[in-house]
Amino acid sequence: MIRHLAAASLLLTTACLAIGPASAADPGITDTEILIGDVEPLTGPPALLGVAASIGHKIAIAEANAAGGINGRKIKYVLEDDGYVTARTIQGVKKVIDVDKVFAMIGISGSGQSIAVMPVLEKSGIPTVIDVAPVKFLWEPPRKNVFVVGQSYEEGIVHLVNFLADKNPGKKWGLITQDDDYGITVRDGFDTVVKAKKLNVVYSGNYKKGQQDFSSDMLQLKDSGAEVFLAGGIIGENIAMMKELEKLSIKPVTGIFWPGRIEPVLKLMGPAGDGIYAVDYVEPFAGAAGRAFLDKAKPLVSEAEFKGINRYTMTGYAAAKVLIAAIERCGKQPTWACTIAELEKTKNVETGVMAPISFGPGVRFSNQKLQIMQADTATLSFKPVN
Amino acid sequence: MRTGDYKQSYGELVALIDSPPVWLWSAVLLLALIAAPYLLNSYALSFLMIILITVTGALGLNILTGYTGLISLGHVGFLVTGAYAYAVLVSKYHMPPLVGFLGAGVVPALASLIVGAPSLRLKGLYLAITTLAFSFIINTVILEMRWLTNGARGIQVQRPEILGISFDSDAAFTYLCLAFAALTLFATLNIRRSRVGRAFVAIRDNDTAARVMGINLHAYKLFAFVTSAFITGIAGALYGIYLSFVSVEGFPFLLSIEALAILIVGGLGSALGAVLGTILIVLLPEATRLVFSLFSAQMDATFATGAQELKSMLYGLVIILFLRFQPRGLVGAWHDIKRTWVHWPLRY
Repeated sequence: MIRHLAAASLLLTTACLAIGPASAADPGITDTEILIGDVEPLTGPPALLGVAASIGHKIAIAEANAAGGINGRKIKYVLEDDGYVTARTIQGVKKVIDVDKVFAMIGISGSGQSIAVMPVLEKSGIPTVIDVAPVKFLWEPPRKNVFVVGQSYEEGIVHLVNFLADKNPGKKWGLITQDDDYGITVRDGFDTVVKAKKLNVVYSGNYKKGQQDFSSDMLQLKDSGAEVFLAGGIIGENIAMMKELEKLSIKPVTGIFWPGRIEPVLKLMGPAGDGIYAVDYVEPFAGAAGRAFLDKAKPLVSEAEFKGINRYTMTGYAAAKVLIAAIERCGKQPTWACTIAELEKTKNVETGVMAPISFGPGVRFSNQKLQIMQADTATLSFKPVN
Repeated sequence: MRTGDYKQSYGELVALIDSPPVWLWSAVLLLALIAAPYLLNSYALSFLMIILITVTGALGLNILTGYTGLISLGHVGFLVTGAYAYAVLVSKYHMPPLVGFLGAGVVPALASLIVGAPSLRLKGLYLAITTLAFSFIINTVILEMRWLTNGARGIQVQRPEILGISFDSDAAFTYLCLAFAALTLFATLNIRRSRVGRAFVAIRDNDTAARVMGINLHAYKLFAFVTSAFITGIAGALYGIYLSFVSVEGFPFLLSIEALAILIVGGLGSALGAVLGTILIVLLPEATRLVFSLFSAQMDATFATGAQELKSMLYGLVIILFLRFQPRGLVGAWHDIKRTWVHWPLRY
């Protein structure tokens, strides 16, 4: 009996392996609706990024729906929480694609999460615009159906260090980075400029992800005599570093990176954060474009959501605008193939929150223009300086 | 009338499957699992893959904690070591996947000797803290050994092709996970009924009495560590392949706690308990979400957008309820149901 069962099982397994899974074509569209899916960290510390990005998607969708939707179809947004857990991101993406049957994907969590989910997206063939974590792996090599809006971390850090180096010639430099992929990228970008401009680096530290106490690190920075400091933390770490420098009564020229360039960070830093430089590719809220975006957003989202707006809302908004425009150009019967082709044809699309967005044949990365901003704690805002 | 299920020989007592109905249900379950990849959509299939991978890892931990009574809070260390061993061998050095799986077992097994040897005189909380420290050390070692592990950048892992069979599709990979889970279940059930397994249980129940009986505590404890780490490492390799990307961030410390929760909820010391516990813990948030979505779309959305916080709350709640009302876990509840079924209407 056992042998018969084993033989039957083996036969069934072989048959199943040979047949292969069935495929479905272009789901997510009815006569009245188009579904767009998103997976973000909506709980836990990275929720500050994920929630803000999803608000950006909602603003773009609400704006399009208010204007009649996409060629008469209303856009419906399906949002899933992954808690920044990679396995959950994969399951979340599979859920919105297979259960909710969305037409296109947008957003997609953090850098490690989007890298892990790439085979799922590529295999499904679903049009996807990623906006939260622009890392090179997502567009190198270019994948047919995956587009990335933003700028690479390396380029960002090179731009910031070049600016600070030109503004502070001959000064001593200090750097601290996180012991993860993000930290390595920041360090790689920094090292490129150090070599090119022969910077005098007197302090180079590395901290463990999750570290809260930077007293020893900042004391070493002080002892090294660093006059220009690149704070390579993300959010809470940069706040702790600046507070520690304030305690030590030193105020080197400080640069931070865009993940931490959000207004609540300035509030928590207090006077210690005044005058710090940041690099970004989205407009500051203190500028005319930023204010116009806030005015546009206010009637489209709830009061609680409006309070959750930060720079990631702008990246989310821009990505959603580009995707919606591409679907719209496909006319009454949009398909995945047409949407991907139209995304590829995206040329100088204005979103109002960053430089115009373009893609092209084999170009899946929008390569946004960068700008430097400076913090003003009196108004809790970042203002462009170049 | 049948009044019980009596064993009349030692052979009957240790038999893996002792009655035709169990054979039948086992066969039905196996056939259902074989058919599942072609009946389920990709999302449901991802749960099946996670269950099968988690079952493999939980069975590994069960040998150490369930059978031998040695609490480990650092099993995620073996999981990540196994994943990296596979990724380095297969993705970086282009070895065949079978060699990768062997390495995924052997490397954590060797690592377990390093943590196991100094821990031989430790029990309970002391051992738990030692193993916890190991999981932190292993993460730091992986991050520092950039020349081998790519440090924090991680390593991409492709779905394997073994003996000409491609496991690239979800369905095929589910079969691979199923094969490993079934083999592990079969192996751990056999370990439990062997001389070695009985020695493990003797150490768990009273190590002084076990030593008096002539059991070499050091040797058996080390063996439990090595076997457990070997199996957990294989589960780590499968998990790495599932994620398609191996990095220390993909293996958070919480996985160790989740594994212990699985054993407690399922029933400590039981292979069936590890399987039932895994199914419950993995499916609990999804099942709750399905139930609540029946009431309103708003509740469904709440679960979708706050899933991780609700999941943590559910884990906590379930563990508290099990410890208070069913300390023998799901397997204890299953035995109670079987006894009631067999003896009804009698109460003994």
